[in-house]
Amino acid sequence: MTQPVTIIMIEDDEGHARLIERNIRRSGVNNEIVSFKNGTDAMQHLFGADGSGLVQKGNALLILLDLNLPDMTGIDILRQIKENKYLKASPVVVLTTTDDSQEIKRCYELGCNVYITKPVNYENFANAIRQLGLFFSVIQVPPAAP
Amino acid sequence: MLTVISAGSVYLVNKAREDSKWVIHTIEVENQVNALLLEVRRAESALRGYLLTLGPEFQTDYEKAVAAIVPALDRVRRLSGDNAAQRESTEKLSAAIETRLGQFARELDAIKQGQPDMAMALARQAAAEGTTTTIGNVAVAMIGEEERLLRLRTANADRSQTLAASMTGIGSGLVVLLALISIWLVRRSALARDEAENRLREAYANLESVVSERTADLREANDEIQRFAYIVSHDLRSPLVNIMGFTSELDELGNDIFRRIGSLAQVPADGPTLAPAGPGEIALEGADKQLSEDFSEALGFIKSSIAKMDRLISAILNLTREGRREFQPVKIATSELIEAIVSTLAHQTAEAQAEIHLEPLPNVVSDRLALEQIFSNLIDNAIKYLKPGVPGEIRIRGRTKLGYAIFEISDNGRGIDARDHQRIFELFRRAGTQDKPGQGIGLAHVRALVRRLGGTMSVSSELNAGSTFTITLPIAWNVSNRNADR
Repeated sequence: MTQPVTIIMIEDDEGHARLIERNIRRSGVNNEIVSFKNGTDAMQHLFGADGSGLVQKGNALLILLDLNLPDMTGIDILRQIKENKYLKASPVVVLTTTDDSQEIKRCYELGCNVYITKPVNYENFANAIRQLGLFFSVIQVPPAAP
Repeated sequence: MLTVISAGSVYLVNKAREDSKWVIHTIEVENQVNALLLEVRRAESALRGYLLTLGPEFQTDYEKAVAAIVPALDRVRRLSGDNAAQRESTEKLSAAIETRLGQFARELDAIKQGQPDMAMALARQAAAEGTTTTIGNVAVAMIGEEERLLRLRTANADRSQTLAASMTGIGSGLVVLLALISIWLVRRSALARDEAENRLREAYANLESVVSERTADLREANDEIQRFAYIVSHDLRSPLVNIMGFTSELDELGNDIFRRIGSLAQVPADGPTLAPAGPGEIALEGADKQLSEDFSEALGFIKSSIAKMDRLISAILNLTREGRREFQPVKIATSELIEAIVSTLAHQTAEAQAEIHLEPLPNVVSDRLALEQIFSNLIDNAIKYLKPGVPGEIRIRGRTKLGYAIFEISDNGRGIDARDHQRIFELFRRAGTQDKPGQGIGLAHVRALVRRLGGTMSVSSELNAGSTFTITLPIAWNVSNRNADR
C-alpha cells in the first residue's frame, strides 16, 4: 500500500517558506505541506508530547529543514530525527543559506539526504526546488519501522 | 661624637696622670724636707756627741751629715720651685740652716782649737738663738703646706679619675647605643628593601597578568569580529534570498500582467472570436510598451544590485572562513607551487599576450593553500592589470634574508598611483580605471593571509610604470607563531 507523503517544512522565514512552497507546487507536487516557523513546534509535531516519535509511526514524511532557526539549530533537529527509530527512515532535505563545506559535510555525516543551498540566484533555486519536487513524486518513502 | 668622647677621655686621663704626678711630687717634697730635717738633727747630735766625747767617729758622722745637708737643701729648693709660698719657706729654711751650719762650723772650730767651753757656750748661744727651733718650725710649716697640697691634689686626682672613668663609661654606653641604633637602622632598611622587592615582584607578576589579559581580550575581540562578520553576512543573506525570490516572482507577474494588457488591448481591434496569441508574442504599443519597459528596467536594477550585494556578502563570508581555517605548516617547494599556478593561468596569460618569467625561489615551511591563494591572486592581478596594447612581462623573484624568504612579483602593467598604495589593500576598494570585473577583495585577502603566516607585504609602483609586490614570509613558520598571532 502506498500512502501519500506529507511534507514537513521547518523554516522560520515566511518568505522562504512561501517561495519553496510555490516552487514545489509549480513542479506539480500536490502533497500536503505542514509548515513550522520554529524548532520547538516542529519537534512537538514530529516527536509527540512524550518525545518518543511514536505519533509518526507508519506515516510517510519528507522533512525540509532550515539550519538557522530562532530557537534551536537545525543540526540538532537533524540528529534527533536520525536517532529516532520511527523517524530515521524519513528523507531529510536541508535547505539553508550556509554554503560552508564543513557544515555541509556535517549534515551529510548526520544522515541528511539532500543539502540545498538557498542561492540568491533565483533561477537556480527554483530549478533545484522543482527538481526536488520531481524527486518527491517518484520516491517511495519506505514504511516506517514496525 | 665618638671623637669628642675619645678626646675628652684622653684629656681626662692625662689630667689624672698629671694630678697623680703632682701628688707624688708633694710626697717627694715632704720626704725631702723630712730628710733635710733629719740630716740637720743628725749633724747637730753628731756635733754634740763630738763636743762631749771628742770621738773622731762623731766628727766623721758630723761631716757626712753636713755634706748631705747641702744637696738635700738643693733638692728641696728645686722641688719646691713651683710654689711661691714654699719657695719663700725654703729660702727661710735655707737661711736658717746656713746660720745653723755656720754655728756648727764655729763650734767645731772651737772644739778643734781645744776650747770646749767656748764651743759649749756657742752651743748654748745657738740654742738660745732658737735657730734649730726656727728650722723645725719652718720645716713643719712646709710639711703642713705640703700636706695641704697633698690633700688638695689627691682630691683633684680622685676627681679627675672619677671623671675619666665616668667619661669612659658614658663613651661605652654611647658606643653601645650607637651600635644598637645602627643595627636597628640596618634592619629597617633591609626590611624596606625586602618589601620593595616584594612589591616589585608583585608588580611584575601583575604586569604579566595584565599583558596576558589584554592579549586574551584582543584575541576575544578578534574572534568576536570574526563571528560578527560571519553571522551578519549569513543573516543578511536570508532576506536577500527573499528579495531576489520575490523580485523574480514580480518579474513573472509583471510579464503575465503586461501579456494580459496586450491581449486586452488587442481584443477590440481583432474581434472577440480570435483566439489569444501565444505568450510573449503580443507586441505592446505606445504607453503600454513604455510602462512594460520601465517595469523591466526597475526590476533589472534591483536584480543586479541584489547580485552585487550577494557577491559582497559571499566575499565577506569567504574572508571570515579563511580567518577561521586552521593552517598546517608543511614543507613547500615554492617553485613547483608557482609553476602549477602559472600553468592554470596559461589561458589568461596567452589571452593577455603576457609572458611569465620564473626565477629560482627559496623553499619555505608554510601553509600550502594559503601560499597558493597568495600567489595566484597576485599573478592573476598582474595578468589582469596589464597595459592595453603592451605585451606583458611578469617576473617572479625570490631570495632569503635573516630567516625570511622574500618574494617579488613584478609586472610592466598599468601601475598604481602612490595615493592608492594603501587603499588597494582595503576590503572592497579598488584603484585605477575600473574596466575589469572584481570586488576589491583579492589584495585584502592576500594581506590577511600573509599576516597570519607571520609575514608582511608591500607594494612599490608608479602609474604606468608597472608594479612590484613584495612578500616577506618566515622560512620556517610554525603553529606556535600563528597561535601567538591569533
